[in-house]
Amino acid sequence: MQHAPGKPTGSVLLNVYKPDNFYRMRKNTLFVMLATGAISIIFYACSKGGGSSDPQPETGFDKTAMLTNYADNLVIPGYTTLQTQLQTLDAAVTTFLTTPTDANQQQAQSAFKNAYLQFERVSVHQYGPAETYLLGNFVNTFPADTVKINTNIQSGTYNFASTGTVAQQGLPALDYLLFGPGAVQQLSSAGRKKYVQDVLAQVKSLVDKTLADWKSTYRSQFIGNTRSDVGSPIGYLVNQFAYEMDQLKGPRIGWPFGKQSGGIVFADKCEAYYSGFSAALAVENLTNLRNTYTGGDNKGIDDYLISLKKDQLNTDVLKQFDVTLTKLKAIPDPMSAAFTGNADLVDAAYKEVQLLLTLLKTDVASATGVRITYQDSDGD
Amino acid sequence: MGINIQRPVHIAPLVTYRITFGAMMLLSIIRFWLNGWITSLYVTPVFYFPLQGMDWIRPLGATGMHILFAVMAIAALLIMLGLFYRVAVVIFFFTFTYVELIDITNYLNHYYFISIISFLLIWVPANACYSLDVRLRLTAEKTMAPAWTIGIFRLQMVMVYFFAGLAKLGHDWLFEAMPMKIWLPAKSHLPVIGTLMYKEWVAYFFSWFGACYDLFIAFFLLFRKTRPVAYLFVLAFHLATAVFFPGIGMFPYVMIAGSLIFFSSDFHLRLLSYLPFFKKKQTGKAYTYLPYANKLILALLCIHFIFQLLLPFRYLLYPDKLFWTEEGFRFSWRVMLMEKSGNTFFYVKEPATGKTFEVNNREFLTPLQDKMMSTQPDMILQYAHYLAKVFAIRGVQQPEVYVESYVALNGRRSALYIDPAVNLAAQPYSWRHYQWILPYKEKHE
Repeated sequence: MQHAPGKPTGSVLLNVYKPDNFYRMRKNTLFVMLATGAISIIFYACSKGGGSSDPQPETGFDKTAMLTNYADNLVIPGYTTLQTQLQTLDAAVTTFLTTPTDANQQQAQSAFKNAYLQFERVSVHQYGPAETYLLGNFVNTFPADTVKINTNIQSGTYNFASTGTVAQQGLPALDYLLFGPGAVQQLSSAGRKKYVQDVLAQVKSLVDKTLADWKSTYRSQFIGNTRSDVGSPIGYLVNQFAYEMDQLKGPRIGWPFGKQSGGIVFADKCEAYYSGFSAALAVENLTNLRNTYTGGDNKGIDDYLISLKKDQLNTDVLKQFDVTLTKLKAIPDPMSAAFTGNADLVDAAYKEVQLLLTLLKTDVASATGVRITYQDSDGD
Repeated sequence: MGINIQRPVHIAPLVTYRITFGAMMLLSIIRFWLNGWITSLYVTPVFYFPLQGMDWIRPLGATGMHILFAVMAIAALLIMLGLFYRVAVVIFFFTFTYVELIDITNYLNHYYFISIISFLLIWVPANACYSLDVRLRLTAEKTMAPAWTIGIFRLQMVMVYFFAGLAKLGHDWLFEAMPMKIWLPAKSHLPVIGTLMYKEWVAYFFSWFGACYDLFIAFFLLFRKTRPVAYLFVLAFHLATAVFFPGIGMFPYVMIAGSLIFFSSDFHLRLLSYLPFFKKKQTGKAYTYLPYANKLILALLCIHFIFQLLLPFRYLLYPDKLFWTEEGFRFSWRVMLMEKSGNTFFYVKEPATGKTFEVNNREFLTPLQDKMMSTQPDMILQYAHYLAKVFAIRGVQQPEVYVESYVALNGRRSALYIDPAVNLAAQPYSWRHYQWILPYKEKHE
């Protein structure tokens, strides 16, 4: 079949010019294409680069104002108070170690409780410097590995910098060493005293470093990044809400309560088991989570949701926070005893925790377009 | 007028296609490797979600997976250079597809696209010109090839775009501007346009523009007169998606380069003449297939395209809303269509004692697997079967597996997803509709 030169033959899918038709195409077409391609790429590169250095004023919702509120009114003051509380604890512990009496132990325990409660108030902010130093892992991995702690004390050699030792240090280790069974008697040993001091020094040093980084460099990075993708402040916040709820449901309540073990209670796996204020810590953790959600008195994720016209969701989340807190407060301390003595109360609170977890992890994450994942990968 | 698919045409578009495909695959693999994804996706997990019926495909361990990716990278390089082309492209197709089938957690439409393109590349003489095979006299130089060798790539592109557009013609996308309404406010950090991201009309504009683009772009690319303008749209559209949704990775670039296949051989000859050692030959010998091979290949490609045509419509065989059940969702070019997130709690029960064990998903799944599984019923079922096996080994007698699962779709509030009263351990894998998926409720906040 013959075709007139210059006319494409057959279907357009197969529309390839015959050799005799080369150079029929207007010569400048290719150059126009290449030029526009180059311009597009330049525009693209600029738009990518400009994003972080020059934050734009927001009209719909001022994310920068929200993040500034978080940094200046919640996170930095939270870590500053923790730093102070740890200094108070340090003094009380020094007194206790010098003179291990029951009275001094009580003094130390009250300082310990204050510091632990304060840690719950920064627990949700485990990103940025805290993530760099693995603050949460090193300071609050529970239950403490008491066997390993005792081996360490005996051998006198241990390296707290290694991530394999997170269960041998931090507040849970102090809980065991200072307030565990027979602590007052055992603390006559010099090795034990030194271990306590080393644990406390490590906690203090990590908190100091985290706070210093927030003040020096991270604050400006944090408030200057209004993205919502993986690794962004808003991404972190929403992910941390889900993470803290997972922790509350799992290690703080569910696991010691026997949810994973067919009802067999592991009372000694709960947070601050030896001091026996697990329930107080859980309440503090959730109270603070609510406070972080609302941003305290200023702009928070709740306001962001309202600006996204998710008023009903926000109302429901706040209501669920309150219901859960009420049920959680009903659990008497020590929680380790409540697992068996007041199982129905624990169960009631546990159910509400699960509902709140779903709201935060599914509905809030979905509404804010944040991916709940601690992993990076492509999507489509 | 008959369509003569055997008509010899210049091979230049195929050469560009081979070079850009090889180069991009090489870059993609390097990027994948450097991101540590070989380890995090194919070594770290203790459990994988194979495609139904493909559960014989297993990962090869840390060393094995890295060797596999290295082989794949070398194959990509060889494709680009046109050296040992046929062997390289066959190896690339098999290694790439193998990796994609290990775990459907990582299923992406553009990975599927790459598998298909590498499959199609097996059957065409993309190395017959401007290749090391020719330079080293491993293959005879040809300047022409049957028109179908280029037509199949255009047809494939037309299908990808058109089906992607068709998939957008739904209520949520067009009349709710979902999920754009959710995704855009998360992009308010962008310079200049950032402030617009909260505006509703912008979400509608993005939705409708996206749908029109996908539906019609391929046809505008097909016609010579509209082609240059259409390609500008390709550039603008895909670069915009790269800016807005950096999470989609290499996909925009694959499409930008892939769309060049619509241009004439004249265009490609000019493009290639910018490359070193390229000798412009307007005409020359034609590559010919042996008659029976030609027939066989065409028959194979026919079957391929019939499948391509039918697969996106298989969802019609299932009841309920596709986005909710995801039955017939994959392999259908449904790209960036929904905002879906879920949360699942698994419970293993021992019927004899009534003991219940709640499962910590972190123990068995990576966060990514947990996330993907939570919204896809077939993965929930696979995981439930796996849990039954694990807990049986741990001493639970005749374990039953129940799930409490909540899913939020396109800005709606989360709802119960799977019937919590159904023992999933006793439910079989099937191509039929899973009755234990709770019906979708159209409810807005």
